[in-house]
Amino acid sequence: MASDLRPHIRDEDIAHQLARRGVSRRDFLRFCAVMTATLALPQHYVGRVAAAVAGAKKPVLIWLEFQDCCGNTESLLRANSPGVGEIVLDLLSIEYHETIMAAAGHQSEEARAAAIKEPGYLVVVEGSIPTKDNGVYCTIGGRSALDILQEVGKGAAAIISAGTCSAFGGIPAAAPNPTGAVSVQDVLPNANIINLPGCPMNVVNLTATVVHYLTFGQLPAVDQFRRPLFAYGARIHDNCERRGHFDAGQFVEEWGDEGHRQGWCLYKMGCKGPATFHNCPQAEWNDATSWPIGAGHGCVGCSEPNFWDTMMPAYGRLPNVPGFGAEATADQVGLIIAGAVGGAFALHGIAAAIRAKVNPLKKTETKVEGN
Amino acid sequence: MPKIVVDPITRIEGHLRVEAQVDGGRVTKAWSSTTMWRGIELIVRGRDPREIWYFTQRICGV
Repeated sequence: MASDLRPHIRDEDIAHQLARRGVSRRDFLRFCAVMTATLALPQHYVGRVAAAVAGAKKPVLIWLEFQDCCGNTESLLRANSPGVGEIVLDLLSIEYHETIMAAAGHQSEEARAAAIKEPGYLVVVEGSIPTKDNGVYCTIGGRSALDILQEVGKGAAAIISAGTCSAFGGIPAAAPNPTGAVSVQDVLPNANIINLPGCPMNVVNLTATVVHYLTFGQLPAVDQFRRPLFAYGARIHDNCERRGHFDAGQFVEEWGDEGHRQGWCLYKMGCKGPATFHNCPQAEWNDATSWPIGAGHGCVGCSEPNFWDTMMPAYGRLPNVPGFGAEATADQVGLIIAGAVGGAFALHGIAAAIRAKVNPLKKTETKVEGN
Repeated sequence: MPKIVVDPITRIEGHLRVEAQVDGGRVTKAWSSTTMWRGIELIVRGRDPREIWYFTQRICGV
């Protein structure tokens, strides 16, 4: 993607705007360091990110709300790290956002029409788009969400689907999907879209995506669901602060039991961390004070497509999560691997049997499979 | 009689439309309608009661 995707801009650069708002250089550099780390860039990129962001002009942003609960907007407005709240909002020239704009009625619709006159703006979409019955289940200014998205999407340099509803359909699309709700990528399959799912999305990831865009002139690398790898490249389970308890076979068996009080693994209580890709363990929530598993409740899998149907029952255990404990012996580990391979390849199974005969061990099971 | 339509009402969560009939500078009749529906009432039907809070909690994110 080339520089022609650079968004339409306003005149004053961000460094001047931040200075005017009283954000110190130190706060700004700290913000850039956090963003560089969030984007999984090497530390020496901090200078490059800072230079790019400081010199950038504010991209014009249009924030559309459709079948939403406002949770992603709340996530945006609750960004309250030192100076970051200001920086997030000052990075963008938000020309249209129903929840925070002063204009109402036809004035607000005129503001949107004016903002899309010059192509190359950024669009954030929150909420799914109902398609049933000609889209009557969400209208704004008398026009359907479908109609508005198709119009605004035309001139967008990039569209950020904020939250699981706009990324994958989310809760309105849960069975039986009464309104025929679909995602942004379903409506605009050829648009330059990045998905930031989550219920809600984490504002850190929105900010980092915008910073990446300002620094490199393009959206970050994505996975098969168009989620940026920097934020959705690893499972919750991989980086979970309770992973040690999983490996040690220490599980919460019942809400409020001794294991729960001790902060043990929530896998048996239905935690979907082993099947969910998101950076919650590192980014956390509410200004990095806590996150669901840290607060003692399992992950519900909110960043995965169709999680409202596929991740249920919410309190049911995921079947057959592979893994061997850090406290298992090397012999046990070897046997488990031989067993797994043997299941797929008879020849290797024979080899494993021979090995087992040479070095007999009692039949072992991974602790996670014990109930 | 002149009618005023304000749609969308901004600075709220959700989607709202207000129509008001005005007579001599006074509002004589008014209608409000929420212009978005997701059908969460239908989505939770038949699901495990222990999971319903996940769904209903998402009615409003404010």
